[in-house]
Amino acid sequence: MNTPKPKTREVENLLRRRSFIRRATSGTVLAGLCGGLYVLDDLLTGEAKAESRSDGRPRVPPGQRVLRALKPMGGTPGSPNPSDFSLTVYGEVERPLTLDFGGLLRSENVELEVDVHCVTGWTVLGARFKGVRVRDLAERVGVKDGVNHVIFEGAHGYTANVRLGEALAPDVLVAHRLDGRSLARPHGAPVRAVIPSLYFWKSAKWLKGIKFVRRDEPGYWETRGYNNHADPWLEERYA
Amino acid sequence: MPEKQAPRRRLRWRPWLRATHRDLGYLAVGLTVIYALSGIAVNHIEDWDPNFNNYEETHELGRALPGEDAAVAAEVLRSLDIDEEPADVFRVDTDEVQVLLEARTLHVRTDTGEIRDEGQKPRLLLRIANWLHLNRGKKAWTYVADAYAVGLLTLAITGIFMLPGRRGILGRGAIMVLLGAAIPFLYVVLSGGP
Repeated sequence: MNTPKPKTREVENLLRRRSFIRRATSGTVLAGLCGGLYVLDDLLTGEAKAESRSDGRPRVPPGQRVLRALKPMGGTPGSPNPSDFSLTVYGEVERPLTLDFGGLLRSENVELEVDVHCVTGWTVLGARFKGVRVRDLAERVGVKDGVNHVIFEGAHGYTANVRLGEALAPDVLVAHRLDGRSLARPHGAPVRAVIPSLYFWKSAKWLKGIKFVRRDEPGYWETRGYNNHADPWLEERYA
Repeated sequence: MPEKQAPRRRLRWRPWLRATHRDLGYLAVGLTVIYALSGIAVNHIEDWDPNFNNYEETHELGRALPGEDAAVAAEVLRSLDIDEEPADVFRVDTDEVQVLLEARTLHVRTDTGEIRDEGQKPRLLLRIANWLHLNRGKKAWTYVADAYAVGLLTLAITGIFMLPGRRGILGRGAIMVLLGAAIPFLYVVLSGGP
């Protein structure tokens, strides 16, 4: 019977050791690269955290990490087809209004650079949204006295409630373009709301309606344990 | 001589408990798998879209695409070798036509021939699991989910009393139960809670 020669065993052990060292080195390099990328990305957060907004608050709210682009955060998609788009502005208003996509384009459009903050912890700075100001739509429909809240309605019954004052802020939009391009499907194409001063779940995607109401109507996430107001600077994430 | 009394039969409740635990356990397997997988998927929603695989790519035709919208769409579909009838073709801007297909949209720049091809492919099983887990369907599923929750409570309670002796709730079992309960308790205390 042939027994393996001691020399062969030594060579085998050496190869095994070499292979182990090679794998361990590649693993370490890979982990180092990933860590490096993470740190590089975090430099973005660090730089932004040193900045302040015109209202004196830090540009990046607490607990947020800056990303370069919006992340698709799910939801039940509505039709992405501009032909199917119809926005109804109604509720406690003098002259309810319905706009199709062409009507939206013909309305006064503005393009604004805004920062958006997702409740899951990411922030995108300077996202360039184009659309119609909710404030202008409110003027067109004539909001009645006593209205305190605005309900943004998305596809499949999704809703988000916003205080009237915050919904009529000049940077609140009914948006159809992001960074010079039409909205992509995961971001609510063809039209979404953009409410930069609140966590991003308030910015309903696949927007279908804007309802002005006297009494608050907590929306989809607000009735599932999320904060009713959602101020990122107060970290109002959960109820 | 007094009559000999028949020995009283002890109530043997543990076998019933075990049988309940066993059968309920079998019943809960399907739903537990759905809720557990979906739970992990949804827990990490900041890292990925648990319902859809989103993609976006750009194609360059390298030439302008003048003409009617329908002709532009036909040319684009031919160039990209897409054999699908568009659901709609819509001009969203002077130089931009959208070709809407079943699960993707082609955003065509007619002045440059650049096409942004973006879409969503549903993650079949996970999307259904998430839909059930988040009770998006509502209606009867609410009762199923409630019944499942009651079932889990029953499993937990029957599990506590299944084993007699030192391995049961009077011994090692008590330590394990306390350890399990300590995890959320400590987390709340250490994190500061809600």
